[in-house]
Amino acid sequence: MQRLKAELKVAGGKLVRVSVQTEGGRVESLKLTGDFFLHPEDSISKIEECVRGAALEDDGAEIAGRIDSLARRDGLLLVGFSGSDVAKAIIAATATSKKIE
Amino acid sequence: MSQWRILGLQEFPGAFNMALDEAVADSVRSEESLPTIRFYTWNPSCVSIGYFQSLEEEVNLRECASQGVDFVRRITGGGAVFHDRSGEITYSLIAPEPMFSKDIIASYREICGCIINGLGRIGLQAEFKPINDITVGGKKISGNAQTRRRGIIHQHGTILYDLDVRAMFSLLKVSKEKVSDKMVSAVHERVTSVRHAFRALGRDAPSRDGCYNALLEGFTEGKDWDFGRFGGRELSTAKELEKSKYATREWNFMR
Repeated sequence: MQRLKAELKVAGGKLVRVSVQTEGGRVESLKLTGDFFLHPEDSISKIEECVRGAALEDDGAEIAGRIDSLARRDGLLLVGFSGSDVAKAIIAATATSKKIE
Repeated sequence: MSQWRILGLQEFPGAFNMALDEAVADSVRSEESLPTIRFYTWNPSCVSIGYFQSLEEEVNLRECASQGVDFVRRITGGGAVFHDRSGEITYSLIAPEPMFSKDIIASYREICGCIINGLGRIGLQAEFKPINDITVGGKKISGNAQTRRRGIIHQHGTILYDLDVRAMFSLLKVSKEKVSDKMVSAVHERVTSVRHAFRALGRDAPSRDGCYNALLEGFTEGKDWDFGRFGGRELSTAKELEKSKYATREWNFMR
């Protein structure tokens, strides 16, 4: 399956890069890279995992919501980016692919 | 007042530098070592990447190989940095978390204050630019990155002494998005160094040793401190971590 990529420079923050696979209008898998900070660092896999199956519609509201609630639940600290930035980047990646199709 | 151990400027390969930082953090955590500030340079020159970055996305590995430049992934987030052997000074500050603000940005500001103090001693007026940069004349002169693990705050960062823009460009893949955000088209328009900043002022720059001494004073002012050396266990742990972690493909190509 093709990986869709996009990057987003958060205003006043950091660069978020996504590489995403989708299936039936939902996120199938996500790899998140960039120069942001996340404490604790090894929770990056939890963030990547939590958006699996989230809908790509509504400007990524479900993606952002899942990341935000994970962060609240597990006490993760995102510095230089937010759940909504990840969602925007994912939506941008998938929108680009629609144009190509 | 807490006592600090200062480890004076030493030069090591990238993987060993990162391993030493982790070994010192372990030893400060177990209270075998005092809170520590170490200064170091990188030999060979090295590109370090942030914990969340992809080595292949950020670094021109073919150029690294042909120029004999090393690469290593840090345990801290943040961006890719070219550590030119003679062009910068790196520090690490490793201490129990309660010694600094709980708030991440506030603690960056506190620790970066030592660098601003040091640069002030050589006549450069520097400013903290959140999240994690220090600027002179609006241009970045120092990048910093912090992690907190099991009660220990660990911040390392670099102070650019000289800047080889051509080498930096050849080694790092600079994001077009990132450049466009700063409204400029080239790295050298948004990054400076001690030498460049002095040139802009029409004055002769101090030597790198002079710059190091100023940073040492900036970091130690108001602290109870003494020069120390690595403990035997720190060195053996660092050698083990270099081999099992920082020099491995699994770690460096992890993302």
